[in-house]
Amino acid sequence: MAEKKKRRRADSDSNSASQPFKNLLKSDAQILQILKSVTSSSSSSTSKPLTLADLALSSTCREVSDLSLSSVQSTIESLVLQLTHQILSGQGFSFIVPSRSSSNQLYVPELDRIVLKDKSTVRPFSHISSVRKTTITAKILSLVHQLCLKNIHVTKRDLFYTDVKLFQDQVQSDAVLDDVSCMLGCTRSSLNVIAAEKGVVVGRLIFSDNGDMIDCTKMGMGGKAIPPNIDRVGDMQSDALFILLVEKDAAYIRLAEDRFYNRFPCIIVTAKGQPDVATRLFLKKMKMELKLPVLALVDSDPYGLKILSVYGCGSKNMSYDSANLTTPDIKWLGIRPSDLDKYKIPEQCRLPMTEQDIKTGKDLLEEDFVKKNPGWVEELNLMVKTKQKAEIQALSSFGFQYLSEVYLPLKLQQQDWL
Amino acid sequence: MESECPTETKKGKSKTPKKAKESILKQKSPAEFFAENKNIAGFDNPGKCLYTTVRELVENALDSAEAISELPVIEITIEEIVKSKFNSMIGLVDRERVDEELYDDYETAKAREKRLAKEARAQEIQAKNAALGKKVKEHAVSKSSKGRGEASFYRVTCRDNGRGMPHDDIPNMFGRVLSGTKYGLKQTRGKFGLGAKMALIWSKMSTGLPIEISSSMRGQNYLSFCRLDIDIHRNIPHIHLHEKRDNKDKWRGAEIQVVIEGNWTTYRSKILHYMRQMAVITPYAQFLFKFVSDAPDKNVTIKFARRTDVMPPVPVETKHHPSSVDILLIKRLIAETSKQNLMQFLQHEFVNIGKPLAERLIGEMGPEFSPKTAVKSLTDQQIVRIHQLFRQAKFDDPSGDCLSPAGEYNLRLGIIKELHPDMVATYSGSAQVFEGHPFIVEAGVSVGGKDVKQGLNIFRFANRIPLLFEQGGDVVTRTALKRISWNNYKINQTQDKIGVFVSIVSTKIPFKGTGKEYIGDDISEIASAVKSAIQQCCIQLKSKIVKKMQAREQQERKRNLSKYIPDATNAVYDVLKEMAKSHASKKKRYEEGDADILRKVSDHLITKETLYEKLTQHVEKVDYEMALEYATQTGVREEPREDIYLESLDDKGNFFDFHSPIFVFRLFL
Repeated sequence: MAEKKKRRRADSDSNSASQPFKNLLKSDAQILQILKSVTSSSSSSTSKPLTLADLALSSTCREVSDLSLSSVQSTIESLVLQLTHQILSGQGFSFIVPSRSSSNQLYVPELDRIVLKDKSTVRPFSHISSVRKTTITAKILSLVHQLCLKNIHVTKRDLFYTDVKLFQDQVQSDAVLDDVSCMLGCTRSSLNVIAAEKGVVVGRLIFSDNGDMIDCTKMGMGGKAIPPNIDRVGDMQSDALFILLVEKDAAYIRLAEDRFYNRFPCIIVTAKGQPDVATRLFLKKMKMELKLPVLALVDSDPYGLKILSVYGCGSKNMSYDSANLTTPDIKWLGIRPSDLDKYKIPEQCRLPMTEQDIKTGKDLLEEDFVKKNPGWVEELNLMVKTKQKAEIQALSSFGFQYLSEVYLPLKLQQQDWL
Repeated sequence: MESECPTETKKGKSKTPKKAKESILKQKSPAEFFAENKNIAGFDNPGKCLYTTVRELVENALDSAEAISELPVIEITIEEIVKSKFNSMIGLVDRERVDEELYDDYETAKAREKRLAKEARAQEIQAKNAALGKKVKEHAVSKSSKGRGEASFYRVTCRDNGRGMPHDDIPNMFGRVLSGTKYGLKQTRGKFGLGAKMALIWSKMSTGLPIEISSSMRGQNYLSFCRLDIDIHRNIPHIHLHEKRDNKDKWRGAEIQVVIEGNWTTYRSKILHYMRQMAVITPYAQFLFKFVSDAPDKNVTIKFARRTDVMPPVPVETKHHPSSVDILLIKRLIAETSKQNLMQFLQHEFVNIGKPLAERLIGEMGPEFSPKTAVKSLTDQQIVRIHQLFRQAKFDDPSGDCLSPAGEYNLRLGIIKELHPDMVATYSGSAQVFEGHPFIVEAGVSVGGKDVKQGLNIFRFANRIPLLFEQGGDVVTRTALKRISWNNYKINQTQDKIGVFVSIVSTKIPFKGTGKEYIGDDISEIASAVKSAIQQCCIQLKSKIVKKMQAREQQERKRNLSKYIPDATNAVYDVLKEMAKSHASKKKRYEEGDADILRKVSDHLITKETLYEKLTQHVEKVDYEMALEYATQTGVREEPREDIYLESLDDKGNFFDFHSPIFVFRLFL
């Protein structure tokens, strides 16, 4: 395998003109040496993560925790008893639901993630604007109660199909599900509701999934689907030097097929766009257990950075659980706006930014999680100024394997990440 | 006046025989030019010709009545003339076909066989269907396609109560192209100043029959009658008969009758749309439209009744704005002016140049200009200099006083009258300027109504005439489709019946294309004025719609809340039932109050129905309270009242009055 690899590399050396900067590459051994020094320094520096309590914010901010099934069940039961009292006394009934609107979000720089503030809204049954949501909330509560009794997992889609007529649209039942976990003060995984598998992982990682040992180097080209229930994942082992987070499926396939993780020991993860809960939990778990640096390869556009921020600081939609979902200290490896000129990406592979793109970019510049990193601000300013974006695939203009054979090794060698 | 020059020079040459083959310099009379390029005046094909003829006659009639501030009463009649009747009119004997094969629509033996076979098959199928008891469709009689020679002819008559025409001017008003009364700078209906003349040229081209005009003016004790056609080559009227007749009924107005080739079948809907939209924009006029043919089922009679007697003022003629003139126009103004020196010329021949500004302008022109410079002695270079300065200097915008918009009141009435919408809002913008010409945009937006399609129905008017063709590229269509977010105003662009009316008036409408049927989308001044006018209407509508929705919500609150009671009680009860089970089996311990409830659930003292009843009672109570609150908040408010217009009757004086203390009841005999 390694030999074959070498030969191919030798072949492509001959036409280095079409793959610029190839001559800058040092030997793989040298690059590995650089990486090892980085990894050892990063793993030693990690300390115990801060919590809201450390910052004396636990009274003004809301955070959920993993609850056992029986405690979820008893929380639901006491809530339902309250409702019954209200109904029997002839007052109708109402829920008090923590608000998840953007005005109720707070970015805490010390934690480097978004948390939910303590504002709540009352959701009464007997009001025309909230009757629907209140009914859906009661229905979801009763469905989750059933799951607790039977101790089974269902997907969000399953939940939606139990009463299509009432829910109308999966978006509605999904939103109420988040409300319910917020209201009960538990994580969404504690409700035994999972999302369909979306993320995949490949590379130097061995872990147990529901008791079965999985070796991610032996999962074929596609890799292993990230299991939706993180509580069944354990025993992580790895000899990787870093974790590579990829935005796009296409780039992931390229790296997996070229067995990039054998040349530079690493774990490659993608969620194919916006990350789902399972992938974010999995990444967090890897980072915590293996203590590896996480490098992100995303498109050079505002959405790439946004995806990066969701992994790093959490999404506004699920900020109530950001403690479990966010992975601190993700490095922006590429493709960065400054790379477009640095790697001489031809004009025809760059795209002009639309009005919407530019607006999103400018909005991002206002966000605290961008501002905290001066390097990111600089890159984003450059993007908004040049009004150009590029996808990871733009690198294919130098050959399909330019990404795995030149761009990434060179980036690693130069430790070019922010 | 402009037409004089070409005709004079032409006279000699048109009579020279065309023997010479080498290209000789030819000149065309304006009438000839329009005859050959009749499409630019809207005479593309027989159908369009009929439409344009109707429209030119109607618009002339309106102008004529408005000129003397008389409420217009217009009768337009289209009479179909079959071929034999037409032939007898022109004194041609109907001839039977002798050589059948000579004709284009001759059926060869083979084609005949084919047709017969097809018909037989169709009959067979029909018989089968009938035998099976199926509904028999009326078999469409295969229309024999009209041959080229089978043209349709129509007599179009338009009668108005307008000013009428001076007896001696009638021949020149109809028989000379590009001579007219509408050449001043003012807002006019006419598109080219061609009016009935183009219809006359078309009648001469298609039927060869003359036009007949009757007219009488105020204070005339006679009636002018004139039958004439036009000498196209010389652009002069050719008079058949021109006489004064008795006017026994003391009738005043004009009646014009022209026989042309046309096509009613294909342009029927366009003509009716035109009449309907004309009635929208001129609700103070009364139109009677008639279509008469030999087949009584095809006949159409529509009366568009008057709804108001408020008429917009007659547009006044204005002077040119300095930023709108070109070199040629400056030269013409110099030629025509009665003023001696430059100072007076600038002050009097243009708007928005006062004495101080005129002095500053002359100072800026250069040393060779002075206020005393004789205006007729200006050289070409000097005129160019004046033109350049006019382009660059800053002038106040022309005022919109010279314009005569339809007015919000009229627009609103017209919409209500013709569409009967559920809601309507109108808006009149202030005057704005494009290239030195003032324009005013008025808009109306209606929702609902009878005979209105779902989605956007766009009605466009320019200088108070409807525009029917080339809707796609028009600024109004594009604005309404693309730049208005109807959702913001609680209007559903695809589901609601939306009427959008936009009327633009200007001293010069910037038409696009040859037919002058649409206003381009590339003039940002007009586009933004149209957009804001429509938006203003929408804002008015929004508050009405929101109020309506609130009222509906009020009515449906109870139903909407009750709808969810079963789902909610089921959800709660399901959990309770499970809890009662585990409570009974002593798996879990609860507090006293809770345990009491669970016991009752186990003993069926609290059931799904109990919860249902309690929740229903609560909903009823809430509904009652909110209805009370709504009533106290809104109070007894009524919709604003609309004025109604009652048409006055001819006061013949033949009536009895029954008096009572509060009203008079008048009985006409």
